[in-house]
Amino acid sequence: MPSFKLDDKDIPFEPGDTIIRAAQRAGVDVPHYCWHPGLSVAANCRMCLVELMPPPGRPAMLLDVLAWDDLHQTYVPQKKPKLQPACQQAAADGMVVKSQTSEHAVRARSAVQELLLLNHPVDCPICDQAGECRLQDYWLEHQASKKRMKDEPIHKPKGVVFGPTIVYDAERCIMCTRCVRVSAELAKDPVLSMRERGNLNEITVAPGRQLDHGYTLMTEYVCPVGALTSSDFRFKARVWFLRSARSTCVGCATGCSSYTDFDPRNQKIYRYRPRENAAVNKYWMCDDGMLDYQRIHEGRVLEARIQGEGVSDAVALEKAADLIKQASPQKTAILLSAEHSNEDNQALLDFGKALGALQLYYSGRPQGQGDDILKSADKNPNTAGVLALSGGRAKPFTDLVAAVKEGKVGVLVALGSAIGNPNDAGALKDLKNFVALSTHDGPIADHAAVVLPASSWAEADGTFVNRTGLRQESDRAINPQGASRPAFRWVQELAKLLTLTLPWKKVSELRSLSQGVDASASSPSAPPPGGE
Amino acid sequence: MEPLDQELESSELELPTEPMLLNVGPAHPAMHGTVRIVMELSGEIIERCDVQVGYLHRGFEKMCERGNWSQVFPYVDRCNYVSPMLNNVGFALACEKLLGITVPERCQWYRMILGELARMSDHLTCDGAMAMELGAFTPFLWMIKGREMVWEIMEEETGARLTHSFGRVGGMAAPPTDGFKEHTRAVVKHILTIIDEVERLLLGNRIFLDRLENVGVISAADAVSLGWTGPCLRATGIPYDVRKAHPYLKYGEVDFDVPVGTTSDSFDRFMVRLAEMRQSARIIEQCLERMADKGPVNVDDPRVVLPPKEEVYNSIEGTIQHFKIIMEGLKLPAGEVYSYTEGGNGELGFYLVSDGSGTPHRVRIRPPCFLITAGLERVITGQMMADVVPSFGSLNMIGGECDR
Repeated sequence: MPSFKLDDKDIPFEPGDTIIRAAQRAGVDVPHYCWHPGLSVAANCRMCLVELMPPPGRPAMLLDVLAWDDLHQTYVPQKKPKLQPACQQAAADGMVVKSQTSEHAVRARSAVQELLLLNHPVDCPICDQAGECRLQDYWLEHQASKKRMKDEPIHKPKGVVFGPTIVYDAERCIMCTRCVRVSAELAKDPVLSMRERGNLNEITVAPGRQLDHGYTLMTEYVCPVGALTSSDFRFKARVWFLRSARSTCVGCATGCSSYTDFDPRNQKIYRYRPRENAAVNKYWMCDDGMLDYQRIHEGRVLEARIQGEGVSDAVALEKAADLIKQASPQKTAILLSAEHSNEDNQALLDFGKALGALQLYYSGRPQGQGDDILKSADKNPNTAGVLALSGGRAKPFTDLVAAVKEGKVGVLVALGSAIGNPNDAGALKDLKNFVALSTHDGPIADHAAVVLPASSWAEADGTFVNRTGLRQESDRAINPQGASRPAFRWVQELAKLLTLTLPWKKVSELRSLSQGVDASASSPSAPPPGGE
Repeated sequence: MEPLDQELESSELELPTEPMLLNVGPAHPAMHGTVRIVMELSGEIIERCDVQVGYLHRGFEKMCERGNWSQVFPYVDRCNYVSPMLNNVGFALACEKLLGITVPERCQWYRMILGELARMSDHLTCDGAMAMELGAFTPFLWMIKGREMVWEIMEEETGARLTHSFGRVGGMAAPPTDGFKEHTRAVVKHILTIIDEVERLLLGNRIFLDRLENVGVISAADAVSLGWTGPCLRATGIPYDVRKAHPYLKYGEVDFDVPVGTTSDSFDRFMVRLAEMRQSARIIEQCLERMADKGPVNVDDPRVVLPPKEEVYNSIEGTIQHFKIIMEGLKLPAGEVYSYTEGGNGELGFYLVSDGSGTPHRVRIRPPCFLITAGLERVITGQMMADVVPSFGSLNMIGGECDR
């Protein structure tokens, strides 16, 4: 593999790599604002300037400059090497690059940083970016000096509403154009651009348009400073109080890798952030996914219910066990859920097996809009997983509706909250012996005789299988909300009451059981729970 | 029960001679409230004893691991709480060693003056309490009066009499006040008078001398093997003083002697402390002479020192600097460091491990009196029960520092 030298370290690269990309792969950071590995190169922030040493036998590219001479108190002509942006400069074999070791590059970065802060408002105390802001980090690393400009800074528009999700602050903006490029290149909707020049430079939305494509929050996510803020997260939390859990987005079957940012003090989730994963989402997530965290705190079932009345866990369990005993195994149906993790579904499957239940169905959230960027039309995170676990035996929800109408279902034990077609909810009304393990209010929780509050994906570790058959683990962020417990725990309690034996005792055993199934073996012909 | 009229000569009764177990402390006033000694007494002689420490353990070292580096200062304040300034400076020096920075000269002199004042306060308390425990109450009151004067300087300078939290990585919380030099000179002069008076009062006192001389003796070899440092070690005749052996701050540039003892008994330890106060006065005088009246106290390094408030409120650079230091904590480079200074009781060491984040990974304090207390058993075994009090007092165990 060809390689070049960066600050005396050998950096291997693939043909076509730029210096910064090869360095990043090798774990060496070249400071940058405008460059993003998932976007085209703009080379406009000039923070990644490096000094390229001339090839042996060739003269260095030098510029004539005037340098201040402290001794004589005057400017004297001098020569200085022409620096190159590492984000644009293609790497060449044997190249010698100086970054932190080049006195000129260090000075240039300090000057760039000073320029970027020249008109920056004193906003850190009220800025959502504070704590994860490149301007703050790089000031200490690359400038660490005071402002020399004595003039009043230029004032520009603040709090400009770009669209339903984004608010723009032109004073904080460093014009790196990452947001412009995200809109044009990722969302394929070039709705943002830059106008004016110099001090008056600002980002603007195309006339007559709003920033309203499906990936608007990515513009905020890539913003290295606090210029773009999400109206959802704005003024809600300070990032240094938040902790992150590695999670998988459950908004659709794509299963983007994400971070769940939560405040451990009040056990609330404040946002999702994309987690880099070359196999699934690269650097991105869609708006629907980014805002999907809200469901964790909205419309939740937080206490056990019998006929809609809140009751204690023990009473509800007792009642549920009673109801389950009401029908023969032939007339007992198990409803799995593509909203839930492999662990929850495996637990219910084993429960059904122990009961001898013969009917197996699965449900999930209704179909939605997909696109060819990230979004799937199937809005369930674990369709592939459920189908694989059941060995393709689970039938769609419509079959359950038909079976109920024919009077074949005496007892239904259901996992999940949503059903593919809301019109089918009527069929559930007639069921008397209906036990649900639900996270959210919805057709299932509404019609069940007994509802046991299940913990959401953010409150328990879980495995999800995405549309390509990739199995991904999602870590717990917060404690179970209200009286909820992970669904597999409820199943365990129910089995105890019914004196059934489950093939597992610990979560680790449950997980390895569910992992014994080859996800790619799921029947490709099975439709997603929301229908075709 | 033996009949009362039985003649002793003709009886076979033997006096019970098994040793008596006696428990002293931890709530005994002479145990300074924090140590328990279980003694096996034969008559009044201590045959064996077991010194138990830890009653004042508050888990400081662990607590240090949850804040940032600056937030460690209040904890070290509460280690040796009779001379907190020495702890403050010791910890600041450890951080600065890891950062590779040196504070400006004015600050170095300032730290030395405050440190030596703290040492005086430490020694005044120890010697005063020793005298009091032997029944001499007047010297105690005089010496505490002297200590009070030192604490008034501290209050003037730092705003707090006892727990100053005045040290900062890269400097001090505030520059010296205007009247500092004048105030200190007056106080030092007064304290020297007190020391002279105390000497006159005690050194001619038979009871005082008899209770201390040749009591609580430890050999120099034992002291070294136990890891003793400070006045207790120097009382055995070994002139080890970190300020001389490994000069830090400006100790290499000032004249002072290291007083040592000869017989390494409680009396020597008392006298070494008296002599050290006189040396401290010498050091302070030289420092006052050489400390500039103007000039920076804090190092000019934006990584560690907070910007002036008007810059924080009016410029983005100042805001960022403030934000980085307050919110994320100043970042010590990843690595480990051992830094040691002469505390009130001896070598006060800080072993710091930084992982490069703003939060300490490990703060280990080498408390001089922990090792000295380890030798208490050897010092008092074979002695009279009554001698435990002055012997223990002369070791100057400070619970906060020993137990942390």
